[in-house]
Amino acid sequence: MNTMKSLIKILVLTVILTSFASCKKDSVPNYQYMPNMYAPVGYEAYSESKAFANGIEAQVSPEGTIARGHSLFEYENTTEGYNLAKETLKSPLDSTQVDLEKTKVLFDIYCAICHGVKGDGQGNLVKREKILGVPRYDDPARAITEGSIYHVIYYGKNAMGSYKNQLSEKERWEVVSYVLDLKQKLEGSAK
Amino acid sequence: MSSHYEAPIREPLVTGEKSYHDISVDVGAPVLGKANKSWWIVFSIALVAFLWGLGCIIYTISTGIGVWGLNKTIGWAWDITNFVWWVGIGHAGTLISAVLLLFRQKWRMAVNRSAEAMTIFAVVQAGLFPIIHMGRPWLAYWVLPIPNQFGSLWVNFNSPLLWDVFAISTYLSVSLVFWWTGLLPDFAMIRDRAVKPFQKKIYTLLSFGWSGRAKDWQRFEEVSLVLAGLATPLVLSVHTIVSFDFATSVVPGWHSTIFPPYFVAGAIFSGFAMVQTLLIVMRKVSNLEDYITLLHIEYMNKVIILTGGIVSIAYITEYFIGWYSGSSYENYTYLSYGAATGPYWWAFWALITCNFIVPLTLWVKKWRRNIMWTFVVALVINIGMWFERFNIIVVDLSKGRTPSGWTMFSPTFVDIGIFMGTIGFFFVLFLLYARTFPVIAQAEVKTILKSSGERYKRLREAGKSLEGTATDKRTSQKDSFDAIEHEKHSGEIMLLLENVGEFDPTTQKKDHLQEINGIGPKTELHLNDIGIYSYQQISKMTKREYDLFDSISGSLRGRAERDDWAGQAKKLINK
Repeated sequence: MNTMKSLIKILVLTVILTSFASCKKDSVPNYQYMPNMYAPVGYEAYSESKAFANGIEAQVSPEGTIARGHSLFEYENTTEGYNLAKETLKSPLDSTQVDLEKTKVLFDIYCAICHGVKGDGQGNLVKREKILGVPRYDDPARAITEGSIYHVIYYGKNAMGSYKNQLSEKERWEVVSYVLDLKQKLEGSAK
Repeated sequence: MSSHYEAPIREPLVTGEKSYHDISVDVGAPVLGKANKSWWIVFSIALVAFLWGLGCIIYTISTGIGVWGLNKTIGWAWDITNFVWWVGIGHAGTLISAVLLLFRQKWRMAVNRSAEAMTIFAVVQAGLFPIIHMGRPWLAYWVLPIPNQFGSLWVNFNSPLLWDVFAISTYLSVSLVFWWTGLLPDFAMIRDRAVKPFQKKIYTLLSFGWSGRAKDWQRFEEVSLVLAGLATPLVLSVHTIVSFDFATSVVPGWHSTIFPPYFVAGAIFSGFAMVQTLLIVMRKVSNLEDYITLLHIEYMNKVIILTGGIVSIAYITEYFIGWYSGSSYENYTYLSYGAATGPYWWAFWALITCNFIVPLTLWVKKWRRNIMWTFVVALVINIGMWFERFNIIVVDLSKGRTPSGWTMFSPTFVDIGIFMGTIGFFFVLFLLYARTFPVIAQAEVKTILKSSGERYKRLREAGKSLEGTATDKRTSQKDSFDAIEHEKHSGEIMLLLENVGEFDPTTQKKDHLQEINGIGPKTELHLNDIGIYSYQQISKMTKREYDLFDSISGSLRGRAERDDWAGQAKKLINK
């Protein structure tokens, strides 16, 4: 009788404990105790919001506005614009403002996946034949200049998309310097 | 002649012709009897007040502290006033049971149980306020240093508010243990006197199997003494810590080194006033006037005079230092617009009147021994001590160092409702206590009965022996046994016992014969007189034994047979 009773007690306890344990599911966020300041009162970036027509908090700024610390890029996204940039656009950075060691990190993150760490068009995706037709930086038919590189980073060209959202203006120019450096090295090794 | 010597100058502490049995009966009566109408009326009122207060508490917690009258300058008002007030009231109980025990004050014994109950119930009320005055009371457990997932984030041990947590919780638990240990012999008494099975079961559980052996009593005394020794510094430290809430601050009027002893004295002052208020009513309602005598009331009044005097000296000291310090803020708080002549002048003068002037009347012996006047003074002190805390907290906060922050405080109905609620809750608990607990430590009172009982003092003074004086015809069977009757029926008794068997008290246990239908207290006594104590014996009764019993008792003709006592007894044995 007594063992029976204690067995029942243990069983009840187990059921209660397992019922607690089974409350948490990995597929849904866990329970919270008194989430007083857990959900934001203000609008958080990338959050959904019914306050806006398209349901997201991140709204596009009005056409033609310039934020402090930014400037307009005056070359158009056309072949003419490309050619104009190739000839006239110069880097605002001088050699002291470019640290190629640090820029290598940016290049390896954003560019090397297709263009290759050496800029020879042999990135991982090319090697695995995911994409084809990535040119070498020392391709004499293209003869890239700092203006043309910047224009391509900014707008993209052919199969390549724009990278202006990934890199800030200064970072773009740093990458330009790095690309030119790689180009020089390729030309040096080619000779 | 009794060998005991007690100074004849001492007045008796137990009046009336009390025997040990009388004490048990008197103390047990409210517990074993039924509540009367007035109890139910008072209880209902208290319950309604409690429920209303509970509603106010729920409203506060669910809506926010903004429903109170607090503002940005005065962040503490009724909440902490009531907290300190209740904690203060709670101090008399432990003082009576611990400090007076250490000083071997015999008069403590009639009042300590209720005073301790009052302590516990008052501390429970006080304990509500630190929780409900929190902005986010559901995080109150963060005040405890528990290892946690915030990188084991702990509390800062520098705040007197944290010390309050430890002080109050320790105080409550020690008081509770002290109270309960003292209750064990008394619960055992109720257990042994209870007739209803449920009641018996409850008091069996409550009394923890107390059997009152010599070893038990010896250890009981030791534990009481050790707990008294521990509780005494606790009483002093708890209210000291409560006073630190103010004294360690930089607020003019709060920052004061006199606060710790002054608060403790005030606590005992207000606590005793509350004990007076309650006991004056209780002795009347529960018919305990022989135990809580005028002498007890006078003694308590003397403690009130003493502590009231200490508090008055503290007021004067505060005032003097306010002037003597040369600090313009201190001076302002006390002397200029601050207290006496400022916007809260009425609270200040209420304090002076209630705590200083009115208690002075207790110096007059005639008034000190006047129960009605004592009751009035006790009520007035309770009010005055509330105003003392209100003054300290609100008046000092209302006019701080920057005049641009000066403001007034006015309570909302929620502030008031919660306070009323705690009073209701207190009385709910106290009224329930008065009906279910032995309100007088009968075991202790029995120890002083022969030394301080009126009857025994008289006998000693007359030079008479106390031998045999404690016998009571309800408990001493030899006395209640009618020897002549017994002689007359000795033949029949012998015959009867021959058939049902003798009762051997060394191996057998006496049964509660009143369980049998048809056997009342008188019949049971009668059966016991004959020598019948157990169901076993009754179950052996047949027609012949019934008739024998009828002829011995001379009454109840045929009753035993009609009720089938033997059959009932058999059922009870098999149960």
